[in-house]
Amino acid sequence: MSSTSQKHRDFVAEPMGEKPVNALAGIGEVLGKRLEEKGFDKAYVVLGQFLVLKKDEELFRDWLKDTCGANAKQQGDCFGCLKEWCDAFL
Amino acid sequence: MPVFVEDPAHFSKSRLKSDLIAHNVALPPSKSKKEAYVELHMKHVDQKHAADFSSDEEDQVQEVAEEEEDPDDTEMPDPSGLTDDDLRAALLVHGVKAGPIVASTRALYEQKLRKLLQSDGHDKMNGTEKAVLYSDSEEEEENGEEDDEESGSEGAKQETVEQSGQTQKESRQVELLFQKGGYVYPQCFLPSSRLRARASRHREPSTKWNSGNVLKSSEQGRSRCSQIPAGISRASSVDQRSGLGSGVPSASQSVMCNDSFPSRKFSITEMVEEGSLTCFLMESQTSLSPNVDTEREFNGSNVQEHWSRSNRLDMPAVDKKNHSVYYTPEASTYERKTKLPPEPVKDIYKDLIPDTKTTPTGIHATRRRPIKGAAGRPIQYAYPDTPASPTTLERREVERRLVPIHIQILVFFIVASLLYFIYACIEDNSFNPFVALLDILSQESDIKEGLLLQAETQDRPALFGQE
Repeated sequence: MSSTSQKHRDFVAEPMGEKPVNALAGIGEVLGKRLEEKGFDKAYVVLGQFLVLKKDEELFRDWLKDTCGANAKQQGDCFGCLKEWCDAFL
Repeated sequence: MPVFVEDPAHFSKSRLKSDLIAHNVALPPSKSKKEAYVELHMKHVDQKHAADFSSDEEDQVQEVAEEEEDPDDTEMPDPSGLTDDDLRAALLVHGVKAGPIVASTRALYEQKLRKLLQSDGHDKMNGTEKAVLYSDSEEEEENGEEDDEESGSEGAKQETVEQSGQTQKESRQVELLFQKGGYVYPQCFLPSSRLRARASRHREPSTKWNSGNVLKSSEQGRSRCSQIPAGISRASSVDQRSGLGSGVPSASQSVMCNDSFPSRKFSITEMVEEGSLTCFLMESQTSLSPNVDTEREFNGSNVQEHWSRSNRLDMPAVDKKNHSVYYTPEASTYERKTKLPPEPVKDIYKDLIPDTKTTPTGIHATRRRPIKGAAGRPIQYAYPDTPASPTTLERREVERRLVPIHIQILVFFIVASLLYFIYACIEDNSFNPFVALLDILSQESDIKEGLLLQAETQDRPALFGQE
């Protein structure tokens, strides 16, 4: 991943606090809405899922696909964003 | 509720499959697309969910607390029937160190275990599945590719369809090649018109085909026209199979159905695009009658339309083509077309080797021509005199004036023998004309100035005395 999106950099730059799930890179309006419907309304809930899957990329990608129908790029963006955040703040 | 129950269209294919298996639903054939899975999923799984949704949800909430297995699938020999501990153990057997198996992660781990089991036990099935997937994606790629080039070359496509209908073997070869690489490599055994037809499909993306294409477009049209009747006659025999795939019944598609699989796939993608163009024509004849005449009519108009469209850019409408041309039997124009290239070659051969017989195939078995410069044969330079430097020119000029070497040797021997002869004569006193000559000369001088000489030196008499 040579260049990251602005959203990614914004998210990784600071503790996520109470950010909505939309703040995650790769999660836009549509996917955010779907995730909220499933109860993943905050970014830290998704982080919880990410952590409970032990930061496993394959499982997280599958989960994200099954939960909100994210495509490969969105999965990758979201995973990278959370992974980097964890590397920085965990 | 953590387990995702939403539009099954968003599920991955494997997820759908596993769900169907879990619900005792017979799977559709492995080749079928995702839509089939989604349909089955909607029919069976979602109905079930709708039926006992409320209670089910409560059950699951309890399960989250107790971390127990799902109640639905206890009897299934399936990952979903295992307890969390068993599931973890099973995953461990397969070398996967599972994380916490909770409600939100359980589905994923089940899926993973299923995948692992499948890859272990059903390698064969997995393989075919993959093949299907790959072929699907390939088709999609091809679709995209053809969408790109659609604008310029519908006519050429139509042509390829009919050509492949006519000569199945060759088209199969070419289309296999096309499917593999995306490019058709020129093959010398194919008629050149065919190659050009293929090339014209690439008019948009690859410019390297362009050069010949534009010029030959009228020829393309002609050869295409000649191939229509064959396609039609085939179409009438197999028209009941024409509904396959695109759902756009057309004569040329039914031709393609008769072909091998790759070419059929090719034709379907092609016809999907083409169908949009000639839809109004197709719909007027939704049921294809086996009557050859109507189909010929239909194809003729179709081709004419395509021809004019494809050539609009290339040539300013050589519109001498009418329907009577389309009806020409395949042998006439096609044969003329294919026989054009060999003729000049034949002439060259005849020039070189006049006594060769002309074979019907036009292939000559001739002696291999010697390679110049090989095996001691002299190299024949195209330029007899290569330009030389001034020094070499000068040297050549000098050499031209020099006496040849054997004459020089001869002269040397003559001179040498003469000198030896003189020496020998002088040495030998018995026969010495030179001494006699010398004597005469000396006598004469003696006569002239005898007294003077005698008086002059004292050596002279001694010399004479010695001699």
